[in-house]
Amino acid sequence: MTTTSTAAARADGATALDARELYRFFRTGEEETLALRGVSLHVQRGETVAVVGPSGSGKSTLLACLAGLDEPAGGYVHVGGERISHRPEAQRARLRARRIGVLLQSGNLIAHLDVRENIRIAQAAAGRRDVSDIAALLDGVGLSGRAHALPHELAGGELARAGLAVALANDPDVLLADEPTGELDGRTEQRVLGLLGSRADAGRGVLVVTHNTEVVSFADRVLVLRDGRIQP
Amino acid sequence: MIITWLSGLVRRRSGRLLAAALGISLAVALVAALGSFLTASKSTMTDRAVRSVAVGWQVQVQPGAKPASVLHTVRSAPGTRTALPVGFAHSTGFHARTGGSTQSTGPGVVLGLPPGYRSAFPGEIRQLTGSASGVLIAQQTAANLHVAPGDTITIGRPGGGPAHVKVAGVVDLPQADSLFQKVGAPPQSQPTAPPDNVILLPAAQFTRATAPIKAADPAAVTTQIHVARDARLPADPAAAYTAVTGAAHNTEARTAGGGLVGDNLGAALDSARQDALYAQILFLFLGVPGAVLAALLTATVAGAGADRRRREQALLRTRGLGFRQVVGLAVTESAAVGVVGGLLGIGIAAGVGRAAFGTASFGSTGASAAGWFALALLLGLVIAAAAVLVPAVRDLRQGTVAEARRVVGRAGTPRWMKFYPDLILLAVSYFVFRASSSNNYSLVLAPEGVPTISVSYWAFLGPALLWLGSALLLWRLVTLALAHGRRPLARLVRPLTGAMAGTTAASLSRQRRPLARAVVLLALALSFAVSTAAFNSTYRQQAEVDARLTNGADVTVTQSPGSRTGPSAANPLAAIPGVRHVEPLQHRFAYVGADLQDLYGVRPSTVTSATSLQNAYFSGGSAKSLMSKLATRPDSLLVSEETVKDFQLAPGDTLKLRLQDAHTKSFHTVPFHYAGVVKEFPTAPRDSFFVANAGYIAKTTGSDAVGTFLVDTGGGNQKAVAARLRHQLGTSAKVTDITQTRSQVGSSLTSVDLSGLTRIELAFAVLLAAGAGGIVLALGLAERRRTFAIATVLGATRRQLRGLVFSEAATLTAAGLAGGALIGWALTQMLVKVLTGVFDPPPEAVAVPWPYLALTLAAALAAIVGAALSGVRRSARPAVEELREL
Amino acid sequence: MKAPDTGLLVDTLIDCRDAARTYGRGENAVVAVHGATFQVRTGDRIAIMGPSGSGKSTLLHLMAGLERPTSGKIGWPALGRPATAHDIGVVFQSPSLIPALDVVENAALPLVLSGTAEPEARRRALSALDAVGVADLADKLPEELSGGQAQRVAVARVLALRPKVVLADEPTGQLDRATGRHVMDVLLDTAAELGAALVVTTHDPTVGERLTERWPMHEGRLATTAPAPAASTPRAAPRARPNAAQGETS
Repeated sequence: MTTTSTAAARADGATALDARELYRFFRTGEEETLALRGVSLHVQRGETVAVVGPSGSGKSTLLACLAGLDEPAGGYVHVGGERISHRPEAQRARLRARRIGVLLQSGNLIAHLDVRENIRIAQAAAGRRDVSDIAALLDGVGLSGRAHALPHELAGGELARAGLAVALANDPDVLLADEPTGELDGRTEQRVLGLLGSRADAGRGVLVVTHNTEVVSFADRVLVLRDGRIQP
Repeated sequence: MIITWLSGLVRRRSGRLLAAALGISLAVALVAALGSFLTASKSTMTDRAVRSVAVGWQVQVQPGAKPASVLHTVRSAPGTRTALPVGFAHSTGFHARTGGSTQSTGPGVVLGLPPGYRSAFPGEIRQLTGSASGVLIAQQTAANLHVAPGDTITIGRPGGGPAHVKVAGVVDLPQADSLFQKVGAPPQSQPTAPPDNVILLPAAQFTRATAPIKAADPAAVTTQIHVARDARLPADPAAAYTAVTGAAHNTEARTAGGGLVGDNLGAALDSARQDALYAQILFLFLGVPGAVLAALLTATVAGAGADRRRREQALLRTRGLGFRQVVGLAVTESAAVGVVGGLLGIGIAAGVGRAAFGTASFGSTGASAAGWFALALLLGLVIAAAAVLVPAVRDLRQGTVAEARRVVGRAGTPRWMKFYPDLILLAVSYFVFRASSSNNYSLVLAPEGVPTISVSYWAFLGPALLWLGSALLLWRLVTLALAHGRRPLARLVRPLTGAMAGTTAASLSRQRRPLARAVVLLALALSFAVSTAAFNSTYRQQAEVDARLTNGADVTVTQSPGSRTGPSAANPLAAIPGVRHVEPLQHRFAYVGADLQDLYGVRPSTVTSATSLQNAYFSGGSAKSLMSKLATRPDSLLVSEETVKDFQLAPGDTLKLRLQDAHTKSFHTVPFHYAGVVKEFPTAPRDSFFVANAGYIAKTTGSDAVGTFLVDTGGGNQKAVAARLRHQLGTSAKVTDITQTRSQVGSSLTSVDLSGLTRIELAFAVLLAAGAGGIVLALGLAERRRTFAIATVLGATRRQLRGLVFSEAATLTAAGLAGGALIGWALTQMLVKVLTGVFDPPPEAVAVPWPYLALTLAAALAAIVGAALSGVRRSARPAVEELREL
Repeated sequence: MKAPDTGLLVDTLIDCRDAARTYGRGENAVVAVHGATFQVRTGDRIAIMGPSGSGKSTLLHLMAGLERPTSGKIGWPALGRPATAHDIGVVFQSPSLIPALDVVENAALPLVLSGTAEPEARRRALSALDAVGVADLADKLPEELSGGQAQRVAVARVLALRPKVVLADEPTGQLDRATGRHVMDVLLDTAAELGAALVVTTHDPTVGERLTERWPMHEGRLATTAPAPAASTPRAAPRARPNAAQGETS
């Protein structure tokens, strides 16, 4: 594990993702649950960071806040030097489209669109029109032959890789992945991890939320989240 | 992006898109069809109103003005086809000497007709006997004077000696009321009845005969200019009314005070616009619920995909699509559904129009049909937006994607139930209904002569709130019953599910939210069918009653005035094939005080075998009891309400009428006993008349002469029987049949071809009922396909699955039917009350069209059973993909 | 292949002979399972190991009688009728509880479907829920459960049925490691208590380790291992993967 996170590194643009003092609580009736209690983390370019923690530790909330899908009550999130938290939803959406790729545990694809169309929609969101990339993307995840398959026609591993292709369609600065290997067998898992690794090698940041030890061992850095806090 | 999205939807979600589009198409088709129909009916009403008028305008030449110059001005006014001057003079009385006795009448009117008058205004004078030219005498005058063509009459002239004229023909003046109107006077100062004594002279003879009168008093002889107009009128009666009255005022102004226009055309259009408004109200009452229902159905279909849509939107936003882009996609989807549904609906409407009216535009002009079609298309887009776009935007308004992604939680009590809107709505509905149906209420207010007409739209509130309130109440009741009635429910479904009853009931109870929604939708669709059909058939029933009332029976034989034909003449008529019964009905005239009224002599025991007497025709007893009163006490008399009021009558009072004796031809007093009030009677006029026992009249007048024979054909074959009767009777009597009358009755709404409306409505109601039952159940089952797949792999047999599915279908059907029948019944009662003005006479009871309702029920049941069976078939063998997902 | 049935202690529960399953036809045909031949007997603890798309689920469905082989034969000699859902309990990859039924009704459903009276089914379901440690969830609805809880209810549903064969399809696939371990404990205990055979498909070697036999499956081809006598098989077998499998997974 490396700890090269210095202010200098952040300033020269080597930081893909930077989150400081994130707080998020939920209210259910009278009760208030603190999901995040001051989480700070950062992901350098070229770095893969894993966040691990038991279920209910706030992993999913953290990921949503980092991706600008959820708004932290306190603290800031910067992506590629631009603030994504505490901005109007329209601006958050624009940042997501340009700089962030999100890989969910499941449900990454629109059911009534085939793989190619799913990628195209994601590209359109980012304002890209160069269709030639799709072939390269699909080749990259090993799905060249499945461009016209519908999500329900794909096997579990294929589905995960197609989701990854969609998440990478906008060539994001940082890829946020939620349990990317949850339902995969070892071989597919290795393959997906390899793809994530190559992302980092290409100078982008990768942050993975997981409980999977394989993923943990593959990360450059591991952060442990427990009760809404990063364990020291 | 939009193209990618849409093409994906079209290729892979075509079923759902099509279902939503179908719902929209129903709403669009209903509105387009009804709207075009409404426009067509309105123009029919204008046509009829115009045709009903014999003389368009009667321009009264004012004292001091020159008839010739007024005539010139009127002739040169735009829109005038023909204008002819008619002379009016008053006589002190007419006298005639026939058969050794002399008859005299009171004051009378002498008319001078220019050449060509009868061909220019063919509706004004109807020939009864004799020659069509020369001196003509009105039928009642002829009866009063006992004269026939060839007899001589003496005309009493104020300020001169009597003039003698020879009668050439006897005529009827069907539009005497307007012919003898006091031009320019307000309605309340118009004469209550036209003059009884009228002689029509050719213009030259008139000038000669009235010269002494004119010499004595120039104002005693006046000139009216009768105008036939041919100006093109707008199709809408209200607009036509405005155009005609405007032209009338314009003409008056041109004559510079020389002429006052009696606007018969305007008056006819005035009542037509009221009818048009009623037609519009019917359209609202009957069409809007259907469109609302179709929209609800669409929303349900679209709502079935709500979870999927919510997930997809969250995913799109995760990918960085902005609010506007996601809305753009939803707009695309709703526009596609709206346009496809709208076009489909217009196609259906055009097809329906072609099938029902032979033309796609329902007989209205192309432009107005296009207008309605465009409006309906717009409505389709609005429904699509409401069903697809609004929920999408509502989800999007959630601040963050994370919030929007959260799935809606466990089904609790819907929030609205806590505020009891159902009970509040029902209460308000009741009070509005009470207030609006109180005594002084009139749904449509069209003050005569005033261009503005008003509809008491408040009256709509009653039924509308009843509909809404009872739907919500049903929702609450079903929800409560499913939530707390698990045990009884289990007992009810046991025959279908056997040992699984408890589990099935538990599952039904937990699905109470979608199930209650489905029940409400089905109930609303059925109530729509019930109320529409019941209203329509009540309307038809009343139109039939109206026609029967006017014509008297299936076929009616009216004897010429003064005919002495006795009841025995019925025998040869009864022998004609197709005739079941012939009932003689005396028609005389009787004086009560100075007032001459029609008197009908009936055979109380047999009169109802040829015609129908409704209780609503009488007051002070039912039709049956009053007839038996006439039978047991032959001197009983039924009188009009007006007479009761005028003479302060109490039951049992003696009323002395003066009837004409057959031998002496003079009027003598006959005592009657007041027994009850008659408001309507077959063949009788709208104003005052008497009904008495025919035997008593024959005894006291020495004549059993029959005025009318009512012929019963058993309700069919009227035309053929009428033709046979005509053949046998020749010109000695007039034969009319009810089918002829039915198409002639008034310009009132009855004359509008409501059957077209009915056909459209009823067809849509069946479709909606079937759709509400079938589609909603099918959607519900499709949503739970996974549940059934799980049950199957856990060992459920096809029989058990059928039990599960049919329990749900049975719950839906039972609750939906019960609710639909109740709401429909209540709504019909209220509708018939609120729309009383539409009915003339008011209905005795609501007519229930059982065969149609049975058909609707069968369609709904077939759709439900079909959906259930296909649900069972599909879940009994889960697809491989479904197994995969387990 | 197994040794011939001795007929006394060990029953042959599933007898599969060259069973194959093909989806689609013609050019698009995909062979999910190539001719598989094996037997499952009382007391067996078998892991079918393979990557996703290797045909494990299809094979399990064939064993459960949910799908029919396109060629070959599959029989249940000791279970009487073929494809009896009541003798074979299946735990699916996702918990597959019926959303409209609460936990105890879900657990009792297979019993009710097999004709057990509802009160009796409920009683047995409750004791099964108790056995897997989720009796306190009896009144909850599936949507109120966590993934691990739901999977345990699914196991209880099988337990309540007291089947002779328990088939589990990736039972830990969607669970985190600790919860997955717990679900496997429950499955093994259940099978032991019922004296049933247990067949689990998994891609997870740590799950495979907990069963006696590991049959690798790759691209629709199943490799069965020569069995040791069922009675003497230790519960926790040493980590000895079949040769074929080793090459595949690492």
